[in-house]
Amino acid sequence: MPIHEQSLIRPENLTTHEEKIIDGIDVSGHWSTFIESRVVTDYNEQMEDEIAALPGGEFIHRCWQCGSCTNSCTVNAVNPEFNPRFWIYLIRMGIESELIRDKDIIWQCVSCNKCTYACPRDVYPEGVMKATSHWLELKGHTPQSPSAIFDEVCTDQIVDTGKIEDGRTLRRFMQKTGQSLLQDWIVAMIKQLVSHLPVSLLAKMGLSTLIAPRTSGWSGARRALKRYIEEQQTEQQMAVNPVVAGEEKH
Amino acid sequence: MTNPILIAGGGPAGLAASHALSCLGFKSILVEKEDRLGGAPILSGYAKLVPSGEWARDAIGGMVERAMNDPLIDVRLNTTVTSFSGESGRFSAGLSDGSGADTGAAILCTGFTHFDPVNKPEWGFGTFEDVVTTTQVEQMISSGQGVRCPSDQRKPKRVAILLCVGSRDRQIGREWCSKICCTVSANIAMEIREELPDCHVYIYYMDIRTFGLYETKYYWKSQEEFKIKYIKARIAEVTSDGERLIVKGEDTLVKRPITIPFDMVVHAIGMDPNTDNRSISSVFGVTLEPNGYVDQLSVYGTVGATSRPGVFVAGSAKGPETIDDSIAQGHAAAVAALAAANPAAETA
Repeated sequence: MPIHEQSLIRPENLTTHEEKIIDGIDVSGHWSTFIESRVVTDYNEQMEDEIAALPGGEFIHRCWQCGSCTNSCTVNAVNPEFNPRFWIYLIRMGIESELIRDKDIIWQCVSCNKCTYACPRDVYPEGVMKATSHWLELKGHTPQSPSAIFDEVCTDQIVDTGKIEDGRTLRRFMQKTGQSLLQDWIVAMIKQLVSHLPVSLLAKMGLSTLIAPRTSGWSGARRALKRYIEEQQTEQQMAVNPVVAGEEKH
Repeated sequence: MTNPILIAGGGPAGLAASHALSCLGFKSILVEKEDRLGGAPILSGYAKLVPSGEWARDAIGGMVERAMNDPLIDVRLNTTVTSFSGESGRFSAGLSDGSGADTGAAILCTGFTHFDPVNKPEWGFGTFEDVVTTTQVEQMISSGQGVRCPSDQRKPKRVAILLCVGSRDRQIGREWCSKICCTVSANIAMEIREELPDCHVYIYYMDIRTFGLYETKYYWKSQEEFKIKYIKARIAEVTSDGERLIVKGEDTLVKRPITIPFDMVVHAIGMDPNTDNRSISSVFGVTLEPNGYVDQLSVYGTVGATSRPGVFVAGSAKGPETIDDSIAQGHAAAVAALAAANPAAETA
C-alpha cells in the first residue's frame, strides 16, 4: 500500500484510560481516548550526514522524491511496505522514529540494482538501502542478521588463515547463532560424506578441521587486512557517533 | 530622418532598446521616472544575476554607463510621460519636466513592481523582523554585509525559503507564475550556503520551475553540490516561539503536519504588474490584459505590438520576465518600433 493510503491514526498512537476523571467528569474507557500528535517538530540534520558517511549512502542528498526507485523495486512488488523513496525522505528530514518503525523491512533489499538504473539523479538507492541497514545495526536498532554473522565467520577465518574451512565455518556459525550442531540435516550430511567419500579425502578433511592450515606467508597479508578493517570500523563509528568515537581515539 | 523613438523606462529592456537603436544610427529618448537608470536590478540592489553570475552593478551598470555616454540616447531622469497623442510615425509626447517631443514610435519598458508580502500576513512579513524577502537577501549579499538575521545581526543556522509568495494565489488575485523566483531562490540558497557553510537551507515549494537550462545550473546544483533541501509543502503560517520563527504547514510527502523552528524565513516574492500600469495605460492609450500587465497584441507577427499601433512593449511590463529575455525583447521591440516610425522602410 503506498504511504499516502495508509491510515493516519495508528493503533499504537491511541491511548485510553480504564479509569479517568478530568475536572470531576468521568471519562473512563473510550471517552478518554487520546491520539498522539503526528506533528514533526524539528529536523534532525545529523541523520542524513551519518548515513551519507557510510558506504553506499554518499549520494542520498540528490534525491528529489520522484519515486522511480520504489516503482522499479523488486521487493516493493512483493511487499508494498518496502518503499526506498519514503525512507530516503525520512532520512533526509531526520524523522528517525518513522524510519525505525520499518527496521525489519529495510534490510530485505535484494540488491538487484533496478533502482540504480531507474534513478534519474544517480542517488544509487541500492547503496542507500545498504548504508541504512548498516546504520540501523551500528546504532543498535537491529541485531546482527544471521547472514552478517555468517559473513563475519568467513571473514575472520580468511583474515586469520587465508582460507575458509567448511567444518570450522559450520561449527562457529551454529555456535554464534545459538544452534545445536546435532541438526538432522547435518547428521544426514555427515553420514552421506562418510559412506561415499574416499578415505584419503576424509582424512584430509578431518586433518584440516583440526589443524586449520594457513596460506604460506600469510602473516603480512593478515596484518594489512586487520589494519584496513580497523580503519574502516573506526571511520564508520566516527560517522555514526562522532563524539564517542572521537574520544576513544584520543 | 526619422523622429526619435520614445522609450519609457530605463531598466534592462529600455537600456537594450535604446542601445539597439543607437547601433543602427537612430536616436532615442530614454525617459526614467527614478533618479538613475538600471531598473529593478540596480534600484533594488540585486546581487549576482541569473544565469551569468555577474554582479548586477557590473552587468547592468555597464549597460547604464553605455547609455549615459551615448550621444544618440537622450536620457531624461526623474521624468515621466504625461501625454501621448498622434499616430504611428508622428506622435507627440508631453513630459513631466514641461518639455515635449516629436517621436515616431514608443516602447513601453516600464517593468514590474515587487509583490509586497504584507499582503500575505499569515507568513509573518512585517510582524517578525527575521522574515525577509528575496530582495532583502539580495541586498544583504550585494552590500557585502552578508546574510544576517535583521533582529540581532546573528548568522542564521537554519533558513527557510518560501516560494510563490505573491504568485499562483487566487486568494490575493495573483494567478500567474512569476517565472524567476524558483531559480533566484536556488541561487540565493547556494549563496547563503557559500557564505555560511553551517547554515541549513530549506526551500518550501509547490512546484519547482527552474525552466530550461536552469534545471542543472540551479536546481540540480543546489541539491547536489550545496545540499539544499526541497520540501513539497505550502506553508500555512509563520509564527514565533519568542526566540525563533516557527514555520507551520504540511509535509505532503509524509502527510504529516510540521512546526519547524527557523532563524530566518525568506519570501520569494513575485512580480506584480507595475503599480503605475493604469496611468501608463491611459497616457499611452494601450489596453491591459486581465492581470494588469500591458496587453500584447501579437505574439508572432510584430514583436511587442500593443493595442495601439506604433506603441510597443518589452520586458516585464507585459508579464513576469527574466533579465536576459527582457534585453532580447528590448532589441526586438526596437526593430519593430523603427519600422513603425519609418513607414518608408516598410514600403521600400
